[in-house]
This record gives sequence, structure tokens and C-alpha cells, in this order.
Amino acid sequence: MALAYVWPLWQAALNSLHPNTPQGIDAASWTLANFTRLSDPLYTDVLVRTLRISLTVSLIAALVVYPVALRLTRIAPRWQPWVILAFVSPFLVNTVVKSFGWSLLLRGNGLINTALQALHLTDAPLRLMLNETGIIIALVPGHFMFVLLPLWSAIAGIDPALGWAAGTLGARRWQVFRHVILPLTWPALVTGLVINFIMNMTAFAAPAILGGARTLVVSVLAYQVNLQQLDWPFGSAIAVALLVFTLALVGIGQKLAVWRR
Amino acid sequence: MSLRVEGLEKHFGTVAAVRGVDLDVPSGTFFTLLGPSGCGKTTILRSIAGIYTPDRGSVKLDGVDVTARPIHARNMALVFQNHALFPHMTAFDNVAFGLRMRRVPRAELRTRVDETLALVRLDGLGARMPAQLSGGQQQRVALARALVVRPSLLLLDEPLSNLDARLRDELRVELRALQHRLGVTTILVTHDIEEAFVLSDRVAVLRAGQIEQIGAPRALYRTPATRFVANFVGPVNEIALASIESIDGTIWGTTDAGLRLRLPQDPPGGAAALAGGPAWLIVRPEQLSVAPGPWSNQFDAVIEDLVYAGAATVCRLRVGGLSLSMQVSGEAVHLTLGAPVSVGWHAADSVVLRDT
Repeated sequence: MALAYVWPLWQAALNSLHPNTPQGIDAASWTLANFTRLSDPLYTDVLVRTLRISLTVSLIAALVVYPVALRLTRIAPRWQPWVILAFVSPFLVNTVVKSFGWSLLLRGNGLINTALQALHLTDAPLRLMLNETGIIIALVPGHFMFVLLPLWSAIAGIDPALGWAAGTLGARRWQVFRHVILPLTWPALVTGLVINFIMNMTAFAAPAILGGARTLVVSVLAYQVNLQQLDWPFGSAIAVALLVFTLALVGIGQKLAVWRR
Repeated sequence: MSLRVEGLEKHFGTVAAVRGVDLDVPSGTFFTLLGPSGCGKTTILRSIAGIYTPDRGSVKLDGVDVTARPIHARNMALVFQNHALFPHMTAFDNVAFGLRMRRVPRAELRTRVDETLALVRLDGLGARMPAQLSGGQQQRVALARALVVRPSLLLLDEPLSNLDARLRDELRVELRALQHRLGVTTILVTHDIEEAFVLSDRVAVLRAGQIEQIGAPRALYRTPATRFVANFVGPVNEIALASIESIDGTIWGTTDAGLRLRLPQDPPGGAAALAGGPAWLIVRPEQLSVAPGPWSNQFDAVIEDLVYAGAATVCRLRVGGLSLSMQVSGEAVHLTLGAPVSVGWHAADSVVLRDT
């Protein structure tokens, strides 16, 4: 099974080192031109945009996740499975269908804009899609559960006696959070954010549908290059570059997962 | 600081964990809540600490009502059964936590933590993480953490239950010495009778959310107020009495089988209180004896069983229709299985109880 997973990646990596010709991939010669082409501002812009969107979504998730998770731990155990389902449900819907659903909400004449104008909160429609905003709006709830669930599990796993002990020793609620909950759940938080980040970097349907032709992210660019321009070596180079960048950031994330005072 | 609990009630959903409890603990004394699991003792302790808010009733420290005060404002310290040490902090930092919350300056903090670690015989182990300490050491850190803040009330929730027997005995002795030395008002929760008796000035026996009896250990043992208390604090012989009568100034009880027993002659409430219907005579195994009399009650018996338990031997006797348990110290070489003996006890050592 590992072989079935690794082999296409390996092929792609190999392909990226061959030049492309109108007759197909020239397997006989080797070149780094596909990678040097990536340094063109046209392409580096796409990478920077992808990073910007991914980090923004992860940041929003990081700011919201603790209040949400802490509130959820106080819900009676009877209701918890339903709440988990509620947070997981976006993932149960096909991502393309979901993105089209978002476009109905976010369009110029979509539900949100119509409501805002009817309530006289805005004069003209807000541009909520075909830009980075639309992608971010769709990805935040879509990928939130990847941070929420590990963190919630970690918080639930903390012995309540620790909080009580801290309390009797004089710690107020925020101090219990700062000295007990945060240090003990930090690894789960960082791991969850790393997964969330990876999902953001590699997302395809939401950026494709809500970003539009002028807001390219790396995955959509690779799609265009591979399936529209049929330049597979270059497409492979893009894929390899995305992989390397994502792994590098994941590596940094792993280092940060250890709590240090 | 003295503690007074009045009319404490607490239920969880439909379960009434505490159903009206009153406690009075003078300053500097050691008070124990004793009872089987589920009797509500831990709930009471946590309500005193502020972890649970009582449905009814009040908690007063030196007369001041603290029932509405949050956990962090009560200056009480709680030691848990599973020590509840902060796993990500060293022993030193665990002990220092309470002082840090109180913003004690660094130099004083260091001195007090070191002193308290020495007090619980853990000097030099401050840099270790909880996971690197043994069970006994962990519990000592938990104790140090509680004591260093000089709490008005020290609350102990079965702190020794997770330790093996020898360690438990060792720590018990240390705990008693510490409490006497520091004079801190202490409340212990336990189901272990020996622990309660060894450590406490007074004990409250609890059952199903209510107090059955409060008193010094000796009082609970020798004059239990109910059959539950009598059974709970130690092994007993319970002899069912079909009737009780006073004849010529002597109080007699009669069993179903017709055996006549002399009852304690000065019962609380007077002889009149005893007269009447069915009751139980309670006498402890160690109060029976096969030594020559005179005993106020003496009967022929047959030895049915001998169980040697090291410091004592438990002997099962058949007296008339009754099966009685006798305890003798040591090996009881003078007793043999099946042999007829004469067993007796003093009426004054027994108690008559009437509850169901």
C-alpha cells in the first residue's frame, strides 16, 4: 500500500526533472528548468498567496479554538456526540458541493448581500468571493474541526482535580487556564494547527470555485498547468515545490509543539 | 481557624449525595469524615472547599460565612487521593504554585518552599518531575504544596488510599506529627477505620448522605449509637433479643432460643428506655474471653473454627443457638477445634441498640 502511495509521487518527482516538448515528456534529457521557472514572480505570487491564505485560516482557527473547546467541555455528556457531529458535518458534504453552496451565499446578489442591503447595513454589494476573502470564509469552518477535535480531546483528558488543586491554591479561572490547561494541551493545539495548515495549503475546490481565475493558489495552478496546458513536467515541479514548502512548515510546527516555559 | 457547617445539602440530578449535615470543628483539631463509598463524605469536603456549591446550608470559618466565596478566595488547601500534582512542573514548582498565586516575593518563596519540602522529608528532590517520584514521595509533595500556603483549613481526600500498607502507616504517623506540630485545623475523608482512629480527635460516621454519629474514636467504638456505626467501626457480635425485662433491678435480655443474657445495667436513657420489644446486643470479639470468671455473662460453648491472623486469632464459637466471634491475642495454643469451653463477657462492655 505504501508503494501505491509513493510510486506516483516518485514518478511526479522524476517527471519534474525532464523537459516538456510538444511531442510529450522528453525522458532522455534532464533539466532543472522546471524549477527555475518557479522563481518567476508570476508563480512566487501564487505561492505567497497560498501561504497567506493558509496562515490566515490557521490563525483564525487558533484564536477561536480555545474558547469554543472550553465551552464544549461544559456541555453535558449526553449532547456532546451531537455537537461533535455538528462540527464534523461540513466535512461530510462533498467539498465541491459545499463550495458552490458558499458561492450562493457570498455572490454579489447572493443571500448575504441581499440581506445586508435589505437591512440598510450596506449600500452596495460587498465583494465576498472571487477573492481571497471568499476562500478564507469557506476554509475556516471547513477545516476547523482538525484543530478543535484534538484540542477538545486533550482538554477532556485533563484530570479535573488539577483545576481544583490550582483553584484551592489561589488560581483564578484565567490562571488555571494559563498554568494548567494551556501547557498540558499545547502539543495537541499545535498538532491540530499543523494539520489544519496542511489542509489549507492543499485545498482545491474552495479556492477554485470561490477564488476564481484571478486568485490562484498553488493547487489550482497545478491543475491548470497539468490539465489545461498539459505541461506535466512543470506541473510536477509545482507539486514537488508545494510538498517541500508544506513539509518545511510542518517541521517548524513540530518543533513548536513542545511546551517550554 | 474553626469550621462550622450547617444544614448542608447537595444533590446531583436525582441523587441526593448530602442530606442535611451539621459539623462543628474547633480550631486546631483533626476531624474525620468516615464512611463507605457513596456516603457523601467527599461531596461534603468539596462543598467545604468550594468546588461544589451546596443546594442548601452554609460553611462558616471562624463565624464568617464563606459559602458564596469562590474556591480561590477561601485559603483552604486540598490534598487529593491521586495527589493531582501538576505533571508539567517540578516538585519545587508544584509546591511553589500557591505562593506564586499569592505573589510572594522570590526570596521568601524559595525559603518557604525549601522549608516545607524539608518538613515532609523531601529535601533535595525539588528539581524532580512528579513522574520521577515514587507514590509516597508524590503524596508528600502534594502535602507540602498544601501546607506551604499556611491554609486556614487543611482538607485531605483519602490521601493515603492509593499507597501500599506499609507506606500508608509511615505517612500516617508523619501526618499526625505534622498536624500536631503545625496546629492546622484538618478535615480528613476516609473509609479506613484505623486511619480515622489513629489520626483524629473526633470522627463523624456517615451513611447515605447523613451523619449517624459524631464523637471521639473511643466513644464510637465502645458506645456506638446505631447498628450501622457498631458494624462499621469494627467486627461485632450482634445478638438478637426477643424481649428485655427488668427483674429485681437487673436488666435481662432473652434471645429467640431462650438464652438469658445480662444487659448493661446503666444504659443511656435509663432502664425504662430498654424495656420493650426486639433489640440487639452488641459485644465486640475481643471482649469475649475463655479465661476463668466471674463474668456477668458466662456460657458453655464449642469451638467451631480458629483463624490465625498473626497478632490475633479469631475464634468462632457456638453458644446455644448462637454463633459468636471471639478474638484472642497471639496464637491461642490453648484452644483446640471442637473443644468445649466456657466463654464469658461483662455486661458493662456490651451495648444494646434498637434501630432497624
